[in-house]
Amino acid sequence: MNAAIVCRDIVKVYNSRKKKVVALNGLNLTVKEGEVFGLLGPNGAGKTTLVRILTTLLKATEGYATVGGYDVDKEESKVREIIGYAGQDSERSAYFRLTVRENLLYFAHTLRDVPRDVAERRIEEIAEAAGFTDRLDRHFIALSGGEKQLVIVMRAILHNPQICFLDEPSKSLDPITARRVRSFLKDYARDHGMTICLTTHNMLEAEDVCDRLALINLGKLRFIGAPSEFKRRVIIKETIEIGVNNIPKPVEDDLLALPGVSKVTHGTVVRLYCDDAFSILPDVVKVMKRAGLRAPVRMVEPSLEDAFAFFVKNGLDEVKEDA
Amino acid sequence: MPNPLRLFYMAVWRNILTLTRYKANFIFEILTSVLFGFGMLILAVAFDTNLLGNMIGSTNYVAFIILGISYQSWQGIALWEAANMFRNELNTGQIDYTFTCPFSRYFYIVCNIAASAVQSTIFFLPLFCVGLYFTMETVTPLGLLLGLSATLISVAALAQLGAIFASLVLRYREVTAIFGFFNFAFQMLTGMFVPFQLLPLPLQIIGYCLPITFGMDLMRHYLMKTIPIMPVTYEWIVLLVELVVLALIAKLAVLYLEKTAKEQGLHYL
Repeated sequence: MNAAIVCRDIVKVYNSRKKKVVALNGLNLTVKEGEVFGLLGPNGAGKTTLVRILTTLLKATEGYATVGGYDVDKEESKVREIIGYAGQDSERSAYFRLTVRENLLYFAHTLRDVPRDVAERRIEEIAEAAGFTDRLDRHFIALSGGEKQLVIVMRAILHNPQICFLDEPSKSLDPITARRVRSFLKDYARDHGMTICLTTHNMLEAEDVCDRLALINLGKLRFIGAPSEFKRRVIIKETIEIGVNNIPKPVEDDLLALPGVSKVTHGTVVRLYCDDAFSILPDVVKVMKRAGLRAPVRMVEPSLEDAFAFFVKNGLDEVKEDA
Repeated sequence: MPNPLRLFYMAVWRNILTLTRYKANFIFEILTSVLFGFGMLILAVAFDTNLLGNMIGSTNYVAFIILGISYQSWQGIALWEAANMFRNELNTGQIDYTFTCPFSRYFYIVCNIAASAVQSTIFFLPLFCVGLYFTMETVTPLGLLLGLSATLISVAALAQLGAIFASLVLRYREVTAIFGFFNFAFQMLTGMFVPFQLLPLPLQIIGYCLPITFGMDLMRHYLMKTIPIMPVTYEWIVLLVELVVLALIAKLAVLYLEKTAKEQGLHYL
């Protein structure tokens, strides 16, 4: 499979009079054609900076990147022809007094050179796929924040780009709309062979939509691989969950005394981190019984959110991607 | 409940912070005020119709002013429309989408200015017709055609300056006072409301460099039979040369300023 996006030794330094901020520090990564690729990282990690470099909005200080085989610096107009883009916080970025249909027609026909009849047909198709047909003739200003965001995502793929960049596409969406957008994007990418590169803080989205993830922190690549690999990589301990929000100290001590148990945490549920959850599960139940506590006890698969939280707290060393 | 006095002085504090944060804008804010005072002085002299007759060969002050105001609305569109469009796009975030699209930034700006000029023409047409009514004794169909052609070329040349100003928005963020300064300077230095011949020589020299001067002078000459500030043929040549030179400068400026803005990122604006 060919590479849709290639980044090699990308450095981006923002220079202002008062300080110098290194947003990206020698980043390397490759996104394959047709895959949905997620960029994850805490706030200020450099995700948006990377997307801006790849979409020709920003110039890298060092290194080079290609999108669809074109150099983002030297062949920017070629790159612009094959990409779609929906920026972060862009739900106001359309003409408020025009309807959704008029907005989409304007952007596709005027700025993306899609023939008018093709654009009109595409608007219908995409609106149907996104479940938005009934709102096509509403004024943009009359839409809710989530609906506006959905229109911006529709605009990004309206001209059928080879590669689409979405910067936090579901940021202001309610869970139901977010799920619809995710399923729409996933199906659309699969049916049209489109490569999607998205940044997100929504772990559910990353797990649900992305074929692979890259984790960036402090401008460096910390992980690249499938979501399942990421969870395996950062959660080194297996987990047992007890359905209470607190347990008495003596019980906690008994649990910590079980073989392989390294940590007990309290929260909405109590969690035990251990080496082999399956082997000690009966012992955990025994401890609970002895203390007269009745609560559900189960082994749990760590979520991507757990993995992300672990990563943010403990960090990961920089990884080198195979070129 | 917030103390009203605190509301007042904190509002002043906020405004002063905003005003002084963008230094160039702040300086031009002061310069505009100075220029405005100076302009008013000249305007007072120009109300003398005898003086007007001696200067431009016509005492038709009403037509003189109405045509000037009509011109001003074209000037406003040509110079500021694209800059305002970019400011709006920066505020809404639309500029990110726009700048990932594959088209010439220069033509994007110029075409948007042209579109707005057409829209503006529709709205100011009644005013222009009133101006024409006051020139009924002097205007001819050929004169009207030539006057409008000169206007078209000079507005096209002005649009090139508009493209430069729009690119400045990409680079320097807050430039409203700079706009205000140039807007007023253009009105005062080009004979829009006071005869060009009344200006002191150093200011006339600046006025010669601005495409509005000759466009407006030619329009008034053809419509009102005023005395042109230069031989008519020279004025046409200067106007065309200004159009070509400014178009070249504008194309380069747009390229350069977009490149510079990309170093820091458009979202930083």
